[in-house]
Amino acid sequence: MMKLSPKLSQKLSYMLLFIATMLAIIPVLIIIFLIIKNGYSAINWKFLTSMPEDGMRAGGIFPAIIGTFAIVMCAIVITLPVGVCAAIYLNEYAKDNFLTRLIKLAIVNLAGVPSVVYGLFGLGIFVMFLKLGVSIIAGALTLSIMELPVIITTARGALNSVPQSFREVSLSLGVSRWQTIRHIVLPNALSGILTGTILSIARISGETAPILFTAAAFYVPRLPDSIFDQVMALPYHLYIISTQIPNMPKNIIYGTALVLMMMVLTMSFVAIFARIYFRKRRKW
Amino acid sequence: MRKSLDYIIEAVIFICGILSIVFVVLIFSFLLKEGLSFFKDFSFIKFITNQFWYPNSKIPSFGILSLISGSALVTLGACLIAVPIGVMTALFISEIAPKSIRDILKSLVELMAAIPSVVIGFVGMVTVVPLVKNVFNLPTGLTAFSGSIMLALMAIPTIVTISEDAIRSVPWQYKEGALALGATKWQTLRRVVLKAAMPGIIAAIMLGIGRVIGETMAVMMITGNAAHVPHSIFDPIRTMTSTIASEMGETVRGGMHYKSLFAIGLVLFLITFLVNFIADLFLGKNKNL
Amino acid sequence: MVNKINVKKLSCYYNKKCVLNSLSINVVKNEILSVIGPANSGKTTFLRTLNRMSDLEVLFSRAGEVFLDEENIFDMNMQFLRRRVGMLFAMPIPLPMSIYDNIVYAPKRLGLINKKTDIDALVEQSLKDASLWDDVKDRLHTSAMRMSGGQQQRLCIARILAINPEVILFDEPCSGLDPISTAKVEESMLELKKKYTIVLVTNNVKQASRVSDKTAFFLMGKLIEVDKTDTLFISPKEKQTEYYITGRFG
Repeated sequence: MMKLSPKLSQKLSYMLLFIATMLAIIPVLIIIFLIIKNGYSAINWKFLTSMPEDGMRAGGIFPAIIGTFAIVMCAIVITLPVGVCAAIYLNEYAKDNFLTRLIKLAIVNLAGVPSVVYGLFGLGIFVMFLKLGVSIIAGALTLSIMELPVIITTARGALNSVPQSFREVSLSLGVSRWQTIRHIVLPNALSGILTGTILSIARISGETAPILFTAAAFYVPRLPDSIFDQVMALPYHLYIISTQIPNMPKNIIYGTALVLMMMVLTMSFVAIFARIYFRKRRKW
Repeated sequence: MRKSLDYIIEAVIFICGILSIVFVVLIFSFLLKEGLSFFKDFSFIKFITNQFWYPNSKIPSFGILSLISGSALVTLGACLIAVPIGVMTALFISEIAPKSIRDILKSLVELMAAIPSVVIGFVGMVTVVPLVKNVFNLPTGLTAFSGSIMLALMAIPTIVTISEDAIRSVPWQYKEGALALGATKWQTLRRVVLKAAMPGIIAAIMLGIGRVIGETMAVMMITGNAAHVPHSIFDPIRTMTSTIASEMGETVRGGMHYKSLFAIGLVLFLITFLVNFIADLFLGKNKNL
Repeated sequence: MVNKINVKKLSCYYNKKCVLNSLSINVVKNEILSVIGPANSGKTTFLRTLNRMSDLEVLFSRAGEVFLDEENIFDMNMQFLRRRVGMLFAMPIPLPMSIYDNIVYAPKRLGLINKKTDIDALVEQSLKDASLWDDVKDRLHTSAMRMSGGQQQRLCIARILAINPEVILFDEPCSGLDPISTAKVEESMLELKKKYTIVLVTNNVKQASRVSDKTAFFLMGKLIEVDKTDTLFISPKEKQTEYYITGRFG
């Protein structure tokens, strides 16, 4: 094999790295383009606000949108306070001992557990053991446990970004620890917690596996009465109409995918811009 | 008054901290309980070495070897695609791309992570699956190979983000030293930077693998769901995750089949726990560098 | 001559390593005590123990007693102690809020004041006592982060004065400041000792000789010598003290 000169080999390698980067970026652009191109024709007010008809082959996706909204909101209402409190405990109160390290290890590892395993857990504990049945609340609890480690991790990051010296000053003035957290730490960590929360909402909106056997219904062409009802959910609906229903009109599938994707991407963009905005306004 | 309020709030905060560990214990013990009750009736050795998964036949057989090999094959395929692309992209973004477009490139890569896996699965069904069928002239495009491609796309953002952090945290003195000795930038990157960032990159790869093994919806939609030990990457396969997801709905609650799915969940939990633990070890090592 | 602080056989350990060895010293009311000594002599640990800031650190442990007006500080409520013993840090650390809010932050949290007019008066008085009022009276509601370093440090002094302590601890308060700002801070120290008792830890031997009534010399966790500043600087009893103040080591 002929030996290349260092200059030439650098040039070739850079080219290779550039191609790899394109391979990492182009697919996502193709996915977005494909869904928008084929899906936008299905999107109209009626599609978004009416019930599915004719075995889901016609009509709209309104109950699925509402179902996803209900599950996700319930989940975040449960997980946010618990997660932020746990983060405050770990970051501000916990001494560095065995228990603390165990909790931190557990959180890191919980974040990597497959979502379908959370689904199993939710089925066993919430649906069966607590007898909540397949319902919004069972799905929301499952999702909230799944998202808890993520919320704790982002909230800890936000708390950590507040300089230690602010806490020292406040404590040295005789202010109690909780008052210091309440009036110095939390206000300055709020932006980070907020963006993390939006990203979490985006993520769990698209999750299917955890709600598969805890909340989602195949076909319920009406709105839920309470949190103990089962509901249709957008990601599960997309899965069903793209794999289980024969002769499904393509544009409805694409339209559903477009709605789901846009919901998730919009929230992600909001979070990204919020982060940039807050970073610019940061006072220290 | 104010004091007691502080006290109550601090108590609540403490309880929430403890709750997080309670959940881990709860999840693990619950899976363990359901899984172990299955192993009372069906031997664990047989469970992981038998290749026949016939949960509903008259004499049921609960061998998950075919499911494990399906998961392993699709994960291996995804890694072969995602690791080189991911690491090279991380190198390009952190060291070569002009500063002005660095953040844009990074956001574009991370955009993929934001797309729900059902959407990725659906797109795979309508693009990659027919493509694979036609190009390789196969009876069906629903193969491990198609799954590997889509899963690779989902693993790339994880690998890029964490590798990029590791590469960027290599001290600049290392690079300057090598450059001062007359090495070209590429030689420096390859021999010095890549080596110094290796623990972080390994952690990134482990986390990527964790993501791929646990992925459910996309694999279920594009790998064909055939429970047999695959002969090649162009065979349809079935993974552990998709078995749980597709069969749980039809089981009798509390029956053998139901319990066997929890046993699969337990195996999955242990595998991902191990993978994450290894990643954590490497990340810890990288931080102390 | 009333003793404000009475330290009896105080020993401090950091991660089981002794950083302060059986220290006994008095601080007289309305006087400035300077603590000088090379790095790692235990002077900052000493200061941070006087208002129990060092108790916040996980690896810290201690033995001995410190009395504030005859009361053992280790038996006191920590928050109440810190209200009586204020502390100024080496670097100016304004809280990320307006100048006005920096001053009223602690009094509000501690429930010392409620009425708006009282608050305004308190802000004005504290800033005047820290000789900062004229600089900032027109921009009280702008961010404290945008002031100069010297102004920020005087704001930190004003912030301590607002909770009306009895003792103020200065931890190398001028290490980040230029000579002019340093002179201003020293000026306000001399003004403050009329109302407060001051303990000053400093790396700057000349600063100790300029402002303090008494000076203590620490070396490797031990108190070598403490005396009237004039006496200590003109005729130190110990060789090590002489070497240090004449600049032969440290």
